[in-house]
Parts: sequence; structure tokens; C-alpha cells
Amino acid sequence: MWRCVFTWCVGGCVAWTGWLGIGHGTGGAVAAAEPLTWGADREGGGPYLYPDPASPARTIGFEVDLAEALARELGRPGQRHVQCDWSQLLEVLARGDIEIALNGYEFTRARAARFCNSFPYYIYQLRLCTRQSDTRLQDWESLRSPPAGTRYRIGVLEESAADALVSQEFGTTCDVVRFSGSIDAFESLKQGKLDATVQDNPVVSHYLGPGGLYPDLEARGEPRSEGLYVIYLRGSDLPLCQQLNAALERLRASGELQTLYERYGLWNDTQARLPQVWNGWDSAPRSGDLPSWRDLGRWIPKLLQAALVTIQLACCAMPLAMLLGLTVALGRSWSTPLLGGEGGGWGAWLLRTVLGAYVELVRGTPLAFQLFVIYFVLPRMGVTISEFWSGVAALAINYSAYECEIFRLGLQSVPRGQLEAALSLGMSRPLAVRRIILPQAIRTVIPATANDFIALFKDTSVCSVIAVEELSKQYSIVGKSSGLFLEAAAMAAVLYLAMSYPLSLASGWLERTLKRSA
Amino acid sequence: MLRIDDVVKRHGALEILKGCSLELPTGGVGVLIGPSGSGKSTLLRCINGLETFQRGTIEVGGVRLNAADPPATRRDSLAQIRLRVGMVFQQFNLFPHLTALENVMEAPVHVLGLPRDEARDRARGLLDRVGLAQRLDSLPHQLSGGQQQRVAIARALAMRPETMLFDEPTSALDPRMTGEVLAVMTDLAREGQTMLVVTHAMNFARKVATVVHVLSQGRVVESAPPDQLFDAPQHAATRELLHEAQAV
Repeated sequence: MWRCVFTWCVGGCVAWTGWLGIGHGTGGAVAAAEPLTWGADREGGGPYLYPDPASPARTIGFEVDLAEALARELGRPGQRHVQCDWSQLLEVLARGDIEIALNGYEFTRARAARFCNSFPYYIYQLRLCTRQSDTRLQDWESLRSPPAGTRYRIGVLEESAADALVSQEFGTTCDVVRFSGSIDAFESLKQGKLDATVQDNPVVSHYLGPGGLYPDLEARGEPRSEGLYVIYLRGSDLPLCQQLNAALERLRASGELQTLYERYGLWNDTQARLPQVWNGWDSAPRSGDLPSWRDLGRWIPKLLQAALVTIQLACCAMPLAMLLGLTVALGRSWSTPLLGGEGGGWGAWLLRTVLGAYVELVRGTPLAFQLFVIYFVLPRMGVTISEFWSGVAALAINYSAYECEIFRLGLQSVPRGQLEAALSLGMSRPLAVRRIILPQAIRTVIPATANDFIALFKDTSVCSVIAVEELSKQYSIVGKSSGLFLEAAAMAAVLYLAMSYPLSLASGWLERTLKRSA
Repeated sequence: MLRIDDVVKRHGALEILKGCSLELPTGGVGVLIGPSGSGKSTLLRCINGLETFQRGTIEVGGVRLNAADPPATRRDSLAQIRLRVGMVFQQFNLFPHLTALENVMEAPVHVLGLPRDEARDRARGLLDRVGLAQRLDSLPHQLSGGQQQRVAIARALAMRPETMLFDEPTSALDPRMTGEVLAVMTDLAREGQTMLVVTHAMNFARKVATVVHVLSQGRVVESAPPDQLFDAPQHAATRELLHEAQAV
């Protein structure tokens, strides 16, 4: 999930994977002597590809074996895996850093419009997973009858077939929570934040049951809703695609494909139908289905709704951050001469040290890490907060450290004589700070705080990693669903700008107004 | 009634006050003069606890603040003393976010718990008395230095202190504004306000003071009524000080 933090920045991610590809230019025809370069995401990628538990530097998985077998059938000297973020895989392919995208990508018309698609190499089905201890959900039908007055919360991979199934078929009785990784959904389910998750059967057989990472979760009901994993290639690589199809035919005919799947416990009767599916399969891009800007139109309400969530996150988090920051700043300054203190005893020293450590800890660790701790680690200690409020809490805590330092500067900027005048009028220290020092300190810090608010506004995008459907998350969903990644990103960027520019104007106005009255 | 007895103030190794004693009867106007660095302002600031001192006693209206008392006792005494003593600063220290009227109302409302209406009447009366009835709603930065200092005097008076302390109230002002402020202080003295004033304004001292104290190197070296002190100074430090003042 770490890389997901950066998901919204397509450019960054593509540049990263592009960097890996330097010196392996694969655009156009590739010399037969080069290894087959294939893109896939090894993060949370079992059983497709994942770090070998025995030696984590090595990547194993059925897609590694498949790539190896395909490379051999093509007469290539082996395969070379290029690490890509799953959600950006097709953009990396389009850029030319990899020859094929082979990573549990299901066949969809939107994708097939832009890319060549090979024969499906696996027919997957969806499984309903829940906690072993949970007796309510026995099969798919029970999703329709949650206890009176409640709705089930079902985790899915965003814009996957599971997303579509649950939204369309069970949307009236279930809330869909969209994740960008299977592990995140399983973890949330284990912690009780979800009632169930719907996942592709290879993932389920890899992670659940004895020996898996999640032995306490289990699949219920029958597998359903078949889908097809295909290999995607650039539209111009149809010849290579046809070679891959032929290679798949040979692997199936020789029985090697079955052996390969059996090695990972993935072979089932359904796979016997692969040849029927292949019959008449069209690998060429179906440009008639090519999505266009106009297709984004129907997503606009969704994007606007997500922008509203972004505003809510920012507007809930910032006041909390300021309040927390102010409290910490006052706590750190209280016993110092700045606020008329006399240094105090070891109790005051302890308070200053603890608060100082808080600021350094919060400033010195990434926001995404703090979010991760609040969302995934606190529940292990018995504190469970919803996605939205976890996001608010993480943003508030993260920004409180910066607000604290700003407020301390603000307090320091109030001339010493102000406190003396207040004390000499008989005010107590708390009264003097509240009535005289704070109003002046706050005036000084407003421009800096407004600036931070704009920064926080954009940092709300981090919340997409914990399934809060704010703007970044929604843009990613739109991108996956429509295939218009760059267009959706541009639209999200425009919305961010449209929201932050007025803030920028407001902060400039505030600054000028305050300067006039100072 | 203000009594300072043997006050010693140290700042690290430096001894700023080396055992100062003086008395000011109710209705009296004491003026503290002395070369810069002699400890005048420090002594004044010890009286209302803006500076701590290491030895001696300060007594205002029957409340005693002794350096040897435990901290809790000192805090209590100090709180009571601050209610009996008002202070005017060289830099005015008006609250810049409040209007003139609000500056004067602030402490009566929030310290004494006076109803706002009553505090407003009191503040209007005082601002009228210092000649600023027309500037009630001005913010400090809209007022001249002399006007600001007069608001500061009204602000201190609003607490009806037994004793007013003035810490070089005109040092930051030009001569015309100095005149405005000294006129207000002279009126106050005539009305019987007990005052202790640190100043370089010798004319004011001669005209208004009931007693003048000369501080030199952390000690009160001479105390006398103004006529006597100015016309027949006894101590070498006093003579030197007066000589310098004439030369200016």
C-alpha cells in the first residue's frame, strides 16, 4: 500500500518505472536475443508473483513461471520482471518500458480498445470471504439480508469485477469499500472493519486457510462470476501477441499449463474450458470501443462528490490540527519566561520534553505512516475508528506538529511588554495569555496557517490508501474503469486547483487585511 | 502607604540592587532619579513582581511581600499587591488589538468582574479625564505616542490602585507629547494619588514631588524634598547627576 500513496501522481510513478527500464528500450520490434520484459506488481501479489518467503530478494508465483515458460516458447533467453504499480501497469506498457502486462488483469472492453489482448490464460471466479467466527454470512444470498437496520460492509479491489458485482447485485443491502490492494481488504476484514470481502479465487486460495497469512478468514458459498485474465500488449504489437497465443496453445496441449497451475493449487475444472474461450478470440485492439474525453462526462458527478469528501476531510482536520497544535505550543511554552513561567520543576521539564518529542516524532515520520498506524495498528489495541475519521485524525495529528511550531513563533512574536502590562493590571497568567497574548499571536500566524491549510488540502489524497473515497481515490477508480487515466488525472488536478486557488486568494486577502490593522 | 525595606536583586553574579529602602506615605509623590543603570526601573519592577528579588521586603497597603517567603505565599501576596498597584511603562504597552476604550475596560471586566456597562462608564470617565474623550474607538496604532501613554495611564487608573508606578513614562516621547503626559500626571498628583515615578524630567520632580530619592549603584544615596535636594544636594552622586542634567 505504500506506493499507493503516490498513486495519484501518475507521472511520478511512470517516471520511476521508466527509470528502471533505462537501457532496455523495448519500443517497436525487439531483438529475439533479449529476455521477455513483463510488468507486474509484486506487492501483495500472491500467488501471481510475490517475494519468496525463503529468500525475499527472489520473486516467485504462477505468473513468474508462466512468463518463464512463454519466454522459452518464444525462443527468448528467459524473462525479466519489471516492478510496476498494479494500477499504472497499462500506462507503463503504453510508455514502452515493458513488452507485456501480465498480472491478473481481467479482460475488459475499455482495455481491449487500446491494447492487444492475448488468449485468456486463466478463468477466475469470485469468492465471498469472511471471518470463520462470523456465522451471519453463509452464502451469497445472505448478503441480501443484513440484521435489521444495518448494512453489510464489503471490501473489494477498486473497479474490479468484484466491485461491479457487489455494487450492482447487492448494492441495496451492502456498502462497498474500495481498496487498492487485496491485503488491505483482508487486514480490514480481520480487524472487524468489514463484514466480508469479495476476491478472485487465486488470491483467496493463496492467503486464506491453513498456511496462509489469514488462517482465520474463510471463503463461503459457491465461486461465481467468471472472468478472464489476459496478457495486454501495445496495439502495435499484434504479431508478438499472436506468438504468445500460439505459445499458450502449446503449453496447454503439452499439459505444462495444467502442471504449472497445479503447483500453486490453482487448477480446477473450469480451466478445461480455456480452449473453447480461445476459439474465435480477437486479439487486435477494438478501436471502435476506444474511450474518449466525452466518456468522462458521466463520471463528473462522482468526481464532484469525491471533491466534497476532500473538502470535508480538510475542513474537519485543519481546525483540529490548529487546536492540537495550539495546545502543544502552550504546553511547551507555559513554564518558560515567554509566558511568564519561571522554568518550573521537573514536572514542567517532563511536559516540555514529552511535547517536544511529540512534535519531532510527528514531523519526522511520513503522513502515510501515521495514517497506517491509526487505521491498522490502533485496532489491534482495541481502538477502531472509521476510514473517514482515521483520515481526519492522521491529518490533524500530522499538521498539529507544524501548527505547534507556527504558534510558538506567534507567541514569541508578541512583545514581552504585553504580558507585563497584563500582569501588572492584576491578570492571572492564564487570563493574560487568553485575552492578551493569544489574540495577537493568532493574528501573526494566520497567513502561515492559511498556507498550511492549502497544503493539507492536497495531502488529503493520502487518505485514498485507506479506502476513503476522496478525489484521488475517485480519480483512480475513474481511470481504471474508463481507461482514461491521464484524462481523469488532469480532471482531478483541475478540481484540486479549483478548490485550493480560492483558499489562496482568501489567505492573501487575510494577510493584507491583518497588515492594515496591525 | 508603600514601604521598601532592604531589597537586594541579583542577576547571576551581578548585584543590581544592593539593599534599597524607601517609604512613600499615602498621597505622597515620590520621584526616583539616578544615572542609567543605577537600578531605578528594576526597583520599580520589583514592587509589582515583574522582577523577583532575593532579599528584603516590599509592603503595599498592609500586604507584605518578603523574598524569604515560600513561593505559594509570595504568589498570594503578589496577586494582592498587583491589585493595589498600577503601572505605566516607558513603551506604553497598550494592547494593540483593542480600542482605547477596550484597553481601559479590559482589566475591570476580566479581573474585577465589573459589569460591562459599569466598566464602560468608568473607562469613558477616565479617558475624558486624560483628554481623550474623542478617541474612544481608536486602535493604539492610530494614536500618537502621547495619546497612547495617556490611554495607558487611564488603563492603570481603571483598577483604582492605591499607588501608581511610572517607569520613565515620557522617555519615548517628543517634548510636546511629554508636556501632555506630565500635565495629566501633575493633575493626578494634585488630586492626591499616591505615585512613585522614575523619570529624567527634573522640572516635574521639582514641581510635583513630595520627596525625591537618588539611586546610585544599587543604593538609595539621598532622599529629600525637592527644594532641599535640588538646591542643596548632599551626596556627590546627586551633585554629579544634577550637573549633568543642567548640561543637557
